[in-house]
Amino acid sequence: MTLLLKNILAIYQRELQSYFASPLPYIIAAVFWLLGGFFLVAILLGPQGILAQAAMADQAVQMGLPTPPPFDVAYEFNKAYVGLLGSLSMFVLPMLSMGLYADERKQGTLELLATSPVTNWAVALGKLLAVVSFYIAMVLPLMVCQAIALGAATPPTGSGVFFLSHLGLVLVAASVLALGMFISSLTESTVLAAIMTFALILLLWLVDAVAQGLPGVLGSAIAHLSLLKHFTDFTEGIFDTGGLVLFLSFIGLGLYLTAQSIETLRFQRS
Amino acid sequence: MAMKSFAVYQKYLKYLALPGLALVTAGLLAGVVAGWTLLPAGLLIGGIGLLLLGLVLGNQGQGRFWAQRSTEAGANALVSTLAVLVILGLVNFVAVRYATRVDLTENQLFTLAPQSQQVVRSLENPTRVVVFDPLPNPQDRQLLESFRQTGGQFTFDYVNPYNDPRLAQEFGATQTGMVFVESGGTRRFLQNVGPSERLSERTLTNALDQVVSDRALTVYFTQGHQEFVIDGSDTGFLQAATALGEKSALVQPLDLAQTGTVPEDANVVVVAGPAAEFFDAEVAALQTYLNQGGSLMLLIDPRTSPGLDTLLDPWGVTLDDRIVLDTSGSGQLVGLGPAAPLVTDYGDHPITRDFRGGRSFFPLVRPVNVEEVPGVTATPLLQSNPQSRAESLSAEGQLQFDENAPPSGPYTLGVALSRPVDGAAAAEGEPPPESRLVVIGNATFATDGLFEQQLNGDVFLNAISWLGQQTDATLSIRPREVTNRRITMTVQQQVGLGVFSLLVLPVIGVVLAVVMWLRRR
Repeated sequence: MTLLLKNILAIYQRELQSYFASPLPYIIAAVFWLLGGFFLVAILLGPQGILAQAAMADQAVQMGLPTPPPFDVAYEFNKAYVGLLGSLSMFVLPMLSMGLYADERKQGTLELLATSPVTNWAVALGKLLAVVSFYIAMVLPLMVCQAIALGAATPPTGSGVFFLSHLGLVLVAASVLALGMFISSLTESTVLAAIMTFALILLLWLVDAVAQGLPGVLGSAIAHLSLLKHFTDFTEGIFDTGGLVLFLSFIGLGLYLTAQSIETLRFQRS
Repeated sequence: MAMKSFAVYQKYLKYLALPGLALVTAGLLAGVVAGWTLLPAGLLIGGIGLLLLGLVLGNQGQGRFWAQRSTEAGANALVSTLAVLVILGLVNFVAVRYATRVDLTENQLFTLAPQSQQVVRSLENPTRVVVFDPLPNPQDRQLLESFRQTGGQFTFDYVNPYNDPRLAQEFGATQTGMVFVESGGTRRFLQNVGPSERLSERTLTNALDQVVSDRALTVYFTQGHQEFVIDGSDTGFLQAATALGEKSALVQPLDLAQTGTVPEDANVVVVAGPAAEFFDAEVAALQTYLNQGGSLMLLIDPRTSPGLDTLLDPWGVTLDDRIVLDTSGSGQLVGLGPAAPLVTDYGDHPITRDFRGGRSFFPLVRPVNVEEVPGVTATPLLQSNPQSRAESLSAEGQLQFDENAPPSGPYTLGVALSRPVDGAAAAEGEPPPESRLVVIGNATFATDGLFEQQLNGDVFLNAISWLGQQTDATLSIRPREVTNRRITMTVQQQVGLGVFSLLVLPVIGVVLAVVMWLRRR
């Protein structure tokens, strides 16, 4: 057991090092931060931003117009911004997951991994943990920016929804990365892996719309697969165990399929 | 010869798998969408046949398909993958079935009120809400989801009326956005939802409560004294009557001069803005009805004297002849003059308990004076602003008031009273029967056009519900209110945040990338 953990940890470290030692992930992070920063400013401070809307509502009261309904700026901002980070991540995640196995395949190190004494799923888990860690490292600075803004709220706001929504973000990201890892294990081409992963994301993102056209149990079963629906629950401050199980299922499925795909690899070339 | 030609063509047989796959897909889709009739089933079976033919026969030419190690491993992988999918599916099924939701929002925005929870849990029969809407609103869905997760008997369905016209016809849904409640064999229209009108927890809970209690109110509106009409022939109480009808109450006109007595089945009698006097016999009929445990609602505009004083005296209620003026200017914010006082102060009573600062207004209202009478429980419902005054009218109907006179408010504009019925024994486990009376010094507030504004309609409907002696719990569920919160940042803070997130962070990323690139070289 400890050996297994050690193996996972070793893979994790190796992967993480490769992220922090190569320029591409930093470029991805820089683009992510630029876009994230842009939307932070646009959603919060922009001319159509939430602060401007609130100011307009307050002005209406001073002018003697009917009092608008109460408006929780902090809550709305958190919901809108984390939701947006989710959408933004969907473009970045395929780039993070595309190289996970495809690169190994290209460089010919995949055979080594497949035949090494470390079990396939331990390798997959280590890789997934590493890429999720990198994603968290990407989100953290933006989370700090957001926390600074939320800290200026009057009356002060609680942190429950804030942390729950970011937990949702990480869970969605982990689900997508796990599935992207599987796709990456199928092909030698990183570009193909990224495109396929993106297509899968779109499918899982929009599956709710498809499900609405279908009646009854099948419709609700397919609707349950929607990442967006469960993610929205989290951003709105609802912790739903059904959603949590779905995310964990996607992660588990991604890990399992990856391990299977490496397992079959052993025999494919025989 | 035959064998040889078969072998020649055999290698092409594997391509049969492709049309086979297409047929299977088509069959599955058609079956799911249009139901399992002969055609989809045929497509599916044919497709599976082709698929097998292609896979089995097509590969036999190479002879060793089943013997290959990779095939075995592949088959194993396929089977175990299917198993994993099934397991995950089951796990998710169980997880959704027994999901718990924790609402972490500050004001429990997504949690049902305790009354709603109680009502949903007490449902005995499967109860279904059907919404005919091609585009479900996420907010409504969320609310229905909360209901569903609270009680096991509650389900809901969104039906696209264009895809399922037969069902829409069955329900009598003539337009999109119609919501129905179905329980046991009964089915009734609940409300319309649209972009401007969302599903409300209170409507839903009240509807479910009626399913539970299975008792519809019969509400009589007295006629014959120039009361407001309920048939829509003139501006009157049509909206109010319709709203009662939507709560499955039976609304009837009542001409006491003809019937002589209040009908046995009356749960509530409403006297809505009479301008002419009641005959003594009519007052006596109302009196008898009230004394026997009836419920009466009196909405009496100023400058009218319906002659109901003998009815009101035993309750300690007198109607003031003056008019309440609110000179504080608070009504002007919502476009109301001083003669239409805005009420934001409500009594602690099931009718108004959860109005909490919500607004209702009463154009031309008279104060209702209440004296304490032994045995009668009186709760002032509506209080005018402390800045208000009561002024009398001259004989010509001119309002004369001194601008500078000190305010003398607040005045009670409406009161709810109850009194145990004499000599009536309480059934076991139930509260003793009561006579109930609501008196409001204005009838106009609930007329068409004003009924839907602010809380006016709620005042009326809640009063009727209380008078009908239904369970008081579900009356006053108000939508959850969010905290009014602002983010206040100085310009420096805003600029600082903007510069950091837009400039500093990306630059750090780029610099690190360049450093790594240089190091690699």
